[in-house]
Amino acid sequence: MDQRMNHHAAHDAGALTADDIRGLVRPDHIHRRAYADEAVFALEQERIFGRLWIYVAHESQLKKPGDFVRTRLAQHEILVTRHNDGKIYVLVNRCPHRGARLCMVDQGTSRLFSCPYHAWVFRPDGSLSTVPHIKSYPQDFSTDDPQHHMARIENVQAYRGFVFATLNPDPPPLTDQIGPMTEVIDNLVDRAPDGEVEIADSSFTLEYRGNWKLHLENAADVFHPSFVHSSSVAPARRAPENASTIDGGQTREMLLANGFTTTDWERIELTGLSGGHTFMTNIYTQGALVNDDRDPVSARYKSALVAKIGPERAAAVLGVNRFNNIIYPNLVLNAQHQQMRVTIPISVDRTLVRVHCFRLKGAPDEMFHRAVRFLSTLGSPASMIFSDDVEMLERCQQGLAKDSEIWVDFSRGFDSDQRAGDGKVSGAASEMPMRNQFKAWVEYMTAEAA
Amino acid sequence: MVDHDTQRKVEEFLFEEARLLDAGDFEAWLELYKPQGIYWMPSQPGQTDPLNVASIIYEDHAILSIRVARLLEARALVLTPMPKTTHVIGNIETQDRNGEGFAVEAAFICVEHRAESQKLHSGRHTYHLVPDDDSFRIKMKRVDLVNTSGAYSPMSILL
Repeated sequence: MDQRMNHHAAHDAGALTADDIRGLVRPDHIHRRAYADEAVFALEQERIFGRLWIYVAHESQLKKPGDFVRTRLAQHEILVTRHNDGKIYVLVNRCPHRGARLCMVDQGTSRLFSCPYHAWVFRPDGSLSTVPHIKSYPQDFSTDDPQHHMARIENVQAYRGFVFATLNPDPPPLTDQIGPMTEVIDNLVDRAPDGEVEIADSSFTLEYRGNWKLHLENAADVFHPSFVHSSSVAPARRAPENASTIDGGQTREMLLANGFTTTDWERIELTGLSGGHTFMTNIYTQGALVNDDRDPVSARYKSALVAKIGPERAAAVLGVNRFNNIIYPNLVLNAQHQQMRVTIPISVDRTLVRVHCFRLKGAPDEMFHRAVRFLSTLGSPASMIFSDDVEMLERCQQGLAKDSEIWVDFSRGFDSDQRAGDGKVSGAASEMPMRNQFKAWVEYMTAEAA
Repeated sequence: MVDHDTQRKVEEFLFEEARLLDAGDFEAWLELYKPQGIYWMPSQPGQTDPLNVASIIYEDHAILSIRVARLLEARALVLTPMPKTTHVIGNIETQDRNGEGFAVEAAFICVEHRAESQKLHSGRHTYHLVPDDDSFRIKMKRVDLVNTSGAYSPMSILL
């Protein structure tokens, strides 16, 4: 199946050579075609989303046999399922008989998937269970024949509950691709006193009319919030402290936090790692957004954690203050607020962003209430923050869609980036993270064989 | 059901609210709320829990004040140009809450026009209104959208 798919994608993107791709990226500028050319998008679907490990589900969504989640992997709509054998399977959501989409809901529990057209019935591992009036099919027709099963994506790996799949028939280990970013998944899970997180049932899926990379760049961009979010920063500054009786001031503090000053820009440290991963450090320093012992909920949470893992380990776990950890190509994690965003490309100018939060098992309920409010404040369709981001992503796409020789400028901080170990560090709101993302982009896009 | 006069007063109150939203008079709209009043737009049909389940909006007067101030900020990108709306309210049914104000249910349709696009929102409103002088104040307004599944585009208007 992988072979057929890659062949098809290669055909779509056939016109582009490795030199074409390299020609779109200068050290500090990117050509507009990277965002607006359908051939580039087809090649991304083949070589990035069709070849890398891509996050598809969290194990807490697949607790018992029959549990499933519907999502996307490259150009496929997929079902991630838990089968009776206890294993997780990733299946293309399509009936192998006539090609109809099988499952029409995003999440649920079903011991069998039945095609409404001619009633072929499949098990959660994709195998064909029954076909009505089987004697009318050819004599050699067998339900055991894999060509009558739902197409299965064979390579599935989980890291501490986070399930990834890849269309690459011969992939490197998942941890090779994620590299040191496993630390952020570790940090999220380690924050749970019981050593386990559960993804919240409620999430939002937002759609914008723009290229998927725009969201990733925006999530790594500390220069824009003071401008893009000024309409929510200014009213939050004028609003009285602790006036809300339902959120302990959290919404106001989250809005305020976008009012970066020059000092903030210089204080926030940006890190870019090989493989396109980036994160920022020291972004939130006060209020309900950090673990402050004066806050009774944080204090109770901290003692629950200390009771399980001891004071030293707890201090180390809670001391990690990294924001917008971007696991290339499409996962944004904020461990200290139990948040995750997944970027899902649909077409060259259409993207879904799925926004989730997690429950820390063993933590006070109020910690989860805060994570839920964080999710709504930042990721609800009515968010006072993300709606302004989306407006800018869409305006960028509109400007870049025009057929002309435009180069996007990512030169901020180009002179001041410093090497650090495997990657680079930068301050003062550098555009190093975007340059770092594009460095990986070129590597993946020009790699010939999987 | 309630008597004709009360029903008429409830309808006038809801029509006034719709008119204020269409006119962009968001500060006057906020005045319709009790100081502890809540505006709730759940993310799921039949949602009963605003703490453990994410809401599209779950805000009290204090947070709503920030939202309203933002709508009036010239700098709000998503409001440049400002969306124009037509809120239509109908099927208004009122129940007496036995001395604790009124429970009102209504259907709504709102057309939002902004720049090159037009969107249609619809669903049901549920109000808990309490008497105030000769009119009412909102103790709770719940907005259940019909389209609570699938993907959303950003929503900057109030319903």
